[in-house]
Amino acid sequence: MASISELYDVTWEEMRDKLRKWREENYRNSEQIVDVGEELISEHASKLGDDIWIIYEQVMIAALDCSRDDLAWSCLQELKRQFPDSHRVKRLVGMRLEALERYEDANKLYDSVLQDDPTNTAARKRKISILRAQGRNTDAIRELNEYLEQFVGDQEAWHELSELYINEHDYAKAAFCLEELMMTNPHNHLYCEQYAEVKYTQGGMENMELARKYFAQALKLNNRNMRALFGLYMSASHIAANTKVSAKVKKDNVKYAAWAASQINRAYQLAGRGKKENKCSMKAVEEMLESMHITMS
Amino acid sequence: MAEPELLLDSNIRLWVVLPIVFITFLVGVIRHYVSILLQSDKKLTLEQVSDSQVLIRSRILRENGKYIPKQSFLMRKFYFNNQDDGFFKKTKRKVVPPSPMTDPSMLTDMMKGNVTNVLPMILIGGWINWTFSGFVTTKVPFPLTLRFKPMLQQGIELLSLDASWVSSASWYFLNVFGLRSMYSLILGQDNGADQSRIMQDQMSGAAMAMPADTNKAFKAEWEALELTDHQWALENVEEDLMSKDLDLSGMFSKDLPSGIF
Repeated sequence: MASISELYDVTWEEMRDKLRKWREENYRNSEQIVDVGEELISEHASKLGDDIWIIYEQVMIAALDCSRDDLAWSCLQELKRQFPDSHRVKRLVGMRLEALERYEDANKLYDSVLQDDPTNTAARKRKISILRAQGRNTDAIRELNEYLEQFVGDQEAWHELSELYINEHDYAKAAFCLEELMMTNPHNHLYCEQYAEVKYTQGGMENMELARKYFAQALKLNNRNMRALFGLYMSASHIAANTKVSAKVKKDNVKYAAWAASQINRAYQLAGRGKKENKCSMKAVEEMLESMHITMS
Repeated sequence: MAEPELLLDSNIRLWVVLPIVFITFLVGVIRHYVSILLQSDKKLTLEQVSDSQVLIRSRILRENGKYIPKQSFLMRKFYFNNQDDGFFKKTKRKVVPPSPMTDPSMLTDMMKGNVTNVLPMILIGGWINWTFSGFVTTKVPFPLTLRFKPMLQQGIELLSLDASWVSSASWYFLNVFGLRSMYSLILGQDNGADQSRIMQDQMSGAAMAMPADTNKAFKAEWEALELTDHQWALENVEEDLMSKDLDLSGMFSKDLPSGIF
């Protein structure tokens, strides 16, 4: 089987830089990481210098994702040999135990870490993930709330909590978590869009208005967010179809919905340019928009 | 009075000026590594971490509160600033000012600081004064009054010599402060060889102790939050958005990179 460097004709430095980019931008493309990383550590270990330890960590987590226990074990051995008493390595040991579903052992390990260092956030978060893996959502929510009371600034945790609340259909609390995220990351269009979706799901005139506004904000931050564009169309149609709104509001919303529909048409037009079936797909888009039209029953 | 231009032996430049620069620089680098070795771990308590994060959250609420709906902003402001049980009103942290006598770790820290910084400076200054004495080293480019003579011309007993001509000891002190920027270039910011910063720290030492300030920090945040109003940034977002067509470039699969590399 051809190696990555032959397939793509890249040098080991490029592979290392690609791994760094994935690490810094928090990608979860585990299979690619395993492919690239495995080759890097088996062929070019000596050239990597001190970078190798963080690559071991990255590859180990990706290997756990892909069920490659052999690779995970060898990476873990190297790390344990180099950093015998490290909390960070203990977390990786715990993650491997979790992957093998030995949750009791993993919990004991994390408890020992927390006894040693009560401010260690990684161990606490892993314990919450264990609860989630076991399907104990309410317990996970409770633990996560306690965690967030002390570490108010942990954005990853706020996001996880919003996801848990959405799974439990507690949309008001999910909206609260997303508001925290929107405040700390005002330029992230994805949080605006998720918040708008939660508001849309909650329903009710006020929430629908908020949903429309936040869909529009998401679009303003990133013009190419198709999901937000559809969301804008839907929320505006929803408000316009409601019989209890004033004429002005209805007119405004019809205008917004029409604008959104025209942009959707334009996007599909651009997507299909140069293709023969464009005319048929444009007709399909028209029909789709028609079918999404809200009518009050 | 016309001041005679003294011509200094160029050997002075070679054997005095440059060695002093090297010595100062190397001593600074050694000091940096020694301070790293002697550094003790600072362990933060859970409460300190939590408090610092709460302060950050309150600050973010003030700065970016305009991105969330008015109701949510008011809800959070109420949580922090409420008269009876708002967080900033309710929480009083036990404040123990970390004076050197009561806190043993502070005492050892101070001693280590003194040993690594002040002591070498005094020793080396004295050694240079003793070795390179009896001659003029360099001239400062600006005129000085006679008052500076005994200070800057340590080993030279000439009454008529202009105060601008200085001895090697003063050249050494000039170096100690001048090489500070070189240290940040080579050793990175926050290095142990940065003497003047350490002296500044010592002078304002008592006022800088963070734990003692938690209550004051809370009070300051409370006041700042009271003053903040909510100006919703999304008032006219639809009008802004729909004033022009969407920019859809780069969205389609033909244009996107595929594969790993």
